[in-house]
Amino acid sequence: MSTRSATLLRGARRPPDNDSAFLLDRHRRAVPGRETMARHREDEEVDMLIVGCGAGGATLAQRLARRGWRIVVLEAGPFWDPDEDWVSDEAGSHDLFWNEPRVIGGTDPVELGKNNSGRGVGGSMVHFAGFVPRFHPSDFEVRTRDGVAADWPISYADLKPHYELVERELPAAGEHWPWGNPHGYPHSPHPVAGGALRAMDGARKLGIEFKVGPVAIANGSFGNRPHCIYRGLCLQGCKVNAKGSPLVTHVPDALAHGVEVRDGAMATRIEIDEAGRASGVTYVVDGLGHHQRAATVVVAGYSIETPRLLLHSTSPRFPDGLANGNDLVGRGVMVQGAPQVAGRFPEEMRMYKAPPPEICSEQFYETDRARGFARGFALQTVGPLPIAWAEHVLADGHWGQALREYMRDYNHWYTLGALSELLPLSENRVTLADGKDVNGMPVARMDYGQCDNDRANIAFAKQTLHDILEAAGAQDVLTIDRYAHLVGGCAMSGSQETGVVDSDHRTWEVPNLFVADGSVMPTQGSANPALTIMALASRLAERLGDKRVGADGRRRVAVA
Amino acid sequence: MSESVGHLPHHGGPAPHEDPRPGLPRQRRGTTPQGFGRYPDFDVLEQVGHWDEVTRRVVMARIDVVPPIRFFDESEAATLGAFCDTVLAQDREPRIPVLAMVDKKLHAHEGDGYRHAGMPDDGEVWRRVARLLDAEARSLRADDFASASQGIRDTLVGRFAEGELDGDGMSVEKAWSVVMRMVLSAFYSHPWAWNEIGFGGPAYPRGYARLGAGEREHWERPPEFEVDPVKDVKERGVE
Repeated sequence: MSTRSATLLRGARRPPDNDSAFLLDRHRRAVPGRETMARHREDEEVDMLIVGCGAGGATLAQRLARRGWRIVVLEAGPFWDPDEDWVSDEAGSHDLFWNEPRVIGGTDPVELGKNNSGRGVGGSMVHFAGFVPRFHPSDFEVRTRDGVAADWPISYADLKPHYELVERELPAAGEHWPWGNPHGYPHSPHPVAGGALRAMDGARKLGIEFKVGPVAIANGSFGNRPHCIYRGLCLQGCKVNAKGSPLVTHVPDALAHGVEVRDGAMATRIEIDEAGRASGVTYVVDGLGHHQRAATVVVAGYSIETPRLLLHSTSPRFPDGLANGNDLVGRGVMVQGAPQVAGRFPEEMRMYKAPPPEICSEQFYETDRARGFARGFALQTVGPLPIAWAEHVLADGHWGQALREYMRDYNHWYTLGALSELLPLSENRVTLADGKDVNGMPVARMDYGQCDNDRANIAFAKQTLHDILEAAGAQDVLTIDRYAHLVGGCAMSGSQETGVVDSDHRTWEVPNLFVADGSVMPTQGSANPALTIMALASRLAERLGDKRVGADGRRRVAVA
Repeated sequence: MSESVGHLPHHGGPAPHEDPRPGLPRQRRGTTPQGFGRYPDFDVLEQVGHWDEVTRRVVMARIDVVPPIRFFDESEAATLGAFCDTVLAQDREPRIPVLAMVDKKLHAHEGDGYRHAGMPDDGEVWRRVARLLDAEARSLRADDFASASQGIRDTLVGRFAEGELDGDGMSVEKAWSVVMRMVLSAFYSHPWAWNEIGFGGPAYPRGYARLGAGEREHWERPPEFEVDPVKDVKERGVE
């Protein structure tokens, strides 16, 4: 039966130009089509070589494959089979993260590994919680509006149609969204657990409104993807295939349209020809060196690996690394302040149930000068499992019998988190450290520090969470300071002096070299970045496919 | 604040090293570390038949296989074993073999994706913590940390937690975060600890259905206290 008639019979609303949900097998979670996947010779100049098969790389590959492009994607991690490779267990999901050595420094170092890095086909979205809020229109013009950071060279209107497309592909489920540019979602909101209802009640007493969603979890029939079973292990990889990640939302369709995904392939250098154009990528598989030729090279390795690869690709023409003539590669890397506050309730809340992403408020998203800082934060649910909860208790200063007692009380607690928009600072950057990895490539170093605006934002957000839980009737609260998400480091800009790539993701210095991941974001808003990374890749694919920007670097139609 | 949370450390509950445990019933089904727990009739292992095969293999290996100590030498293992027991209040059998789980990870060079600038790799941090604790114990007239009295061990761990030990060039605050990250990850990955805290455990393919406040799946069990926290708080005069 064709996928189209199967769709009619199954009654699902089909996203345009993406059959992924219908190509999946109903009884097995592995992506069909790997055995019959296209194979390209290494000396064949493919139309596009993409480094990284996450939110940016997979979306771009899927779109352009449908336009007939011959595409190879290199992915450092494995091509996951959720049935065999993933477990319904917190510690057992360690392999989903980028666990290779990295060095962290600065005044407020950011712990890497779990929570903010991915490795394998599907990228970090394999273990992201599932929140997929849009950015607000204001995010694209924070310099103009608020006098901080930088404006984007594109606007909300440029991304809006792609937000709508990607929300149908994930698919996104949630209530009508009143904040930013108000909009609805293709799937209805999921039911929420008791703790979230209690938090909503508490917030309402303070005049703070929460909404259910938006999450990338199908709520109802969607191709061959099963319904969520509310087991709460979204951060451990969805064995159900209910939560969207590129592995299930874009890779199946990409393979069906001729994309070759090479897993276990770690890119080590982008090669440059005599004309100063990217000619291909050198990579390592099982310790053996390979080289793939390509007419266009796209880096989509996220905010640490993308700068690392560019900085490591030195040559006489580019002695400081590719696209780094202005010393901006790796600068302005950002994380969101993500403090969590847990409240203790008389009833059992059992916060390990239901997806951790349940409800969200963007009431504090925009600048309110009365708060004493620029920009704002979002409020969300978190749902830590026992190990994450133990870290939370430890952070409040407890060990020994006191730790054990708070842990025994686990089922009475419910946890809210904030996402504070921290500003991009030039001295926060990714560089190459002295140590080398198993392939002889220098490891990345990430230095990070907060500015006064950041500290004020986080403190205000923590107090707000605290107030909500108190209003909800919490008898005790525990607080932990942490970070979430990673973006920036190869900022998109309107001029060569101020960024690494132009508004079409093309590096200012190398005409056929693009960056298509979260590192191009000049600012981050208080939204989880996954949806915006996908929407940016979708927009780039449209512009390349329509030849509004040439993959060879020649711009055929002036960009507004 | 309500008096009903008097069992919690912020509200007159146990100090880090307090013993005996505050009014906890003995475990009646399954095993918990030290044999006490909040859910005496809950044994998560009775649900194994509902877990998918891959998850079952990974989780059961934590119970069935206690890995041998290969990364640490004998003296380091003695010191660090005593450290793990102290910091987790594992003062009697049955114990979750936390140090063996940590040793296995370090022996396999399994990283966590980062190291602080100026800090050695995680394995070396552990070795230095062992030397540090022994040296501090000797300065308090003990032979070493493992043979020191519980009081000395508690004092030293307390100072370690506050960043007050002399790290001999290494940041003890960062060392604390490195070792505790691995200690907590090992302890709370073990099904015996899940029994103690009433965590439902792996839930694929069955999932959860009862999501509301105060609701339980039919196979989950209610918590139980032998000591009424409200009375306890009054009697002990801590509030």
